[in-house]
Amino acid sequence: MKKLYAVFAVLLVAALLLPACGASGTPDCSKPETFCVGLVTDVGKIDDKSFNQSAWEGVKQAEKDLGAVVQYIETTDAKDYAKNISTFAEAQYDVIVTVGFGLGEATTAAAQQYPGTKFIGVDQFQAAVTPGVAGLNFPEDQAGFLVGALAAQMSKSGKIGGVFGTDAVPPVWRFGEGYRAGAQYINPNIEIFIVYHSDVGFDKTFSDPEWGAATAKSMIEKGADIVFGGGGKTGNGAVIGAVEAGALGIGVDTDQYYTLPEAQKGLLSSAMKLITPGVFDLVKMAKDGAFPDGNFFGKAAYAPYHDLDSQVPAEVKAKMEEINKALLDGSLATNVSPVKP
Amino acid sequence: MDWRRFSFIGIIIILLFGVVVLIGGEQISPLIIISSMLATTLSVATPLTLGALSGIFCERAGVVNIGIEGMMLAAAFFGWLASIYMNSIFEYSPAISLTIGVLAAILTGGLFALLHAWLSITFKVDQIIGGTVINILAIGVTGFLNRQLFFDKGSIFGGNVPHAPGLLPTLSKALTVLCSGAQGCGGLPSLIAGTIFDQKPVAISAILLVIVANYVLFNTRWGLRTRAVGEHPKAADTVGIDVRRVRYINVVIGGMLAGLAGAYFTIESVPSFEPLMTNGRGFIALAAMIFGNWTPFGAWAAALVFGASQALQINLQFFRESIPPAWAFLQQSYVVGLAPYILTMLILTGVIGKTTPPAADGQPYEK
Repeated sequence: MKKLYAVFAVLLVAALLLPACGASGTPDCSKPETFCVGLVTDVGKIDDKSFNQSAWEGVKQAEKDLGAVVQYIETTDAKDYAKNISTFAEAQYDVIVTVGFGLGEATTAAAQQYPGTKFIGVDQFQAAVTPGVAGLNFPEDQAGFLVGALAAQMSKSGKIGGVFGTDAVPPVWRFGEGYRAGAQYINPNIEIFIVYHSDVGFDKTFSDPEWGAATAKSMIEKGADIVFGGGGKTGNGAVIGAVEAGALGIGVDTDQYYTLPEAQKGLLSSAMKLITPGVFDLVKMAKDGAFPDGNFFGKAAYAPYHDLDSQVPAEVKAKMEEINKALLDGSLATNVSPVKP
Repeated sequence: MDWRRFSFIGIIIILLFGVVVLIGGEQISPLIIISSMLATTLSVATPLTLGALSGIFCERAGVVNIGIEGMMLAAAFFGWLASIYMNSIFEYSPAISLTIGVLAAILTGGLFALLHAWLSITFKVDQIIGGTVINILAIGVTGFLNRQLFFDKGSIFGGNVPHAPGLLPTLSKALTVLCSGAQGCGGLPSLIAGTIFDQKPVAISAILLVIVANYVLFNTRWGLRTRAVGEHPKAADTVGIDVRRVRYINVVIGGMLAGLAGAYFTIESVPSFEPLMTNGRGFIALAAMIFGNWTPFGAWAAALVFGASQALQINLQFFRESIPPAWAFLQQSYVVGLAPYILTMLILTGVIGKTTPPAADGQPYEK
């Protein structure tokens, strides 16, 4: 028994020492010549292959192109939002990127507390302007509309599906309803199965790939031949599940051809919000002293067809370009309400 | 066995299915709805069934195991890792890699269970704390290794990460290959073909293991000893049963079952690992075990209720527009999501008969 205590004691000491090693050698962000960018993730991981990771790629681009010192903190619990943000703020980081709708309130509160710091809130719509906060938003409804129109044109069965995270998060709602609107724009009689994973908490709704795969499969059993997966890992599971069951999948946020190698053979396209360039642009503006307070709008797009390029008829490709152009110049509206009514 | 419990569960499942058939039956043929819901129910229930069996083996021998969640998670990770390495580094075929992956998952579950047994039987550590240690350890180890192996090695956007060899095939695919011979298999009724045979190996083995577990526990000498050790270890010891040995073996068997449940996540359901992907299913499995009064068939039935309510939750959203206004509350998917938990509470409060845990459950044995 004594030996066991000794082992535990050694382990405990080792555990205490570990974080101390990590902290050494961090550059001093309080110096004006050091430009520091910190990123706080939403509940979820930095390597989620979608949302957090795309924002982090933008920050890493700033490391490469602007010589910034970069660091991230992963949030494991929603009640740590404020604590994680102030960790960077106290270390006098110049720019703090907070990723996700959930961090909105904590971000504006921190901006009032630390006026010297610039905050970039990805997916945080600013109802009122807070000095020092730029909300990076995307027209998800347009991205959803594009892939919805694509799915409606490519479906042979006249039935398509969509598996999403919770509709209480406005961008997710816009993806889902944009998808519906886009499909109905092409074919008003199309049958659309849309399922939101709203039955669980915010901590699980985006990290349940097994549920996503089961839901996608259930749609395919009812005749759907294309499934759009929109919601972190839950959506990834749906796309992989759909492709595995012989249907086509549509990814979300980034061009998932590169992030879901398992689904490459059946990935039709992805509804993209260009997060990486959006974050980078804002970081650059902060560095150049041209930081826009209030809302800043990024761009939506649909990803290339990759392996399925030869299966997409030329007239569908032309129609997609036409719709994209109409959405961009405003002559076509998705008519999706920005939040769930 | 307890007919009241089973008829209650049967009625609940029929009700859950009936609601969807009533609402969506005009849009899509009821047969398709039922077969699709059955398929969802069976596959969603798989990790719960295996997890509950895992709990039954441990607790019937008198060791409380709340570390099933952690065992599943660790097994999901190491099984997936083994399948990737076998496929991309040793270049085995996908079929062999996946089989090795499943075996690695079972082994991982067994090893974590051995740790639990060591802590709770040899050192007589409080078993709840031992299980918590397993859960925390599994989260840490899998999260850390996942990061080290697949993220820090350059960005995933560079695309240089080896990926999984795929997934276990469904049995119907295997059948199609078999049946493509001269005679064919004759028209299997579509309902069965679409549900039972649309399942994958782990799901099928979960069903078989329920039958095996029931036989082992109630019809073999080993099962009798297991139960004796869980009910009255002193009496068992008096007649010459090695209490510690029986407990060790049962806990490891339980761990291996939890390991198989882990394989369901990363080798059968989706070919990728995500931190925390078991999402509390190890704990729901424990609820299913209690719900089923520590019997394999009871636990299976309970797992099916959880599966059916998830099938309901998914399917109701397909037919959201057809829900009659009087039932508008069903449009809120979280209301439906609550169903299994409310049921669990009803069972635990003894509305449908009492549940009785093994008498020596959770008590370390001192000679």
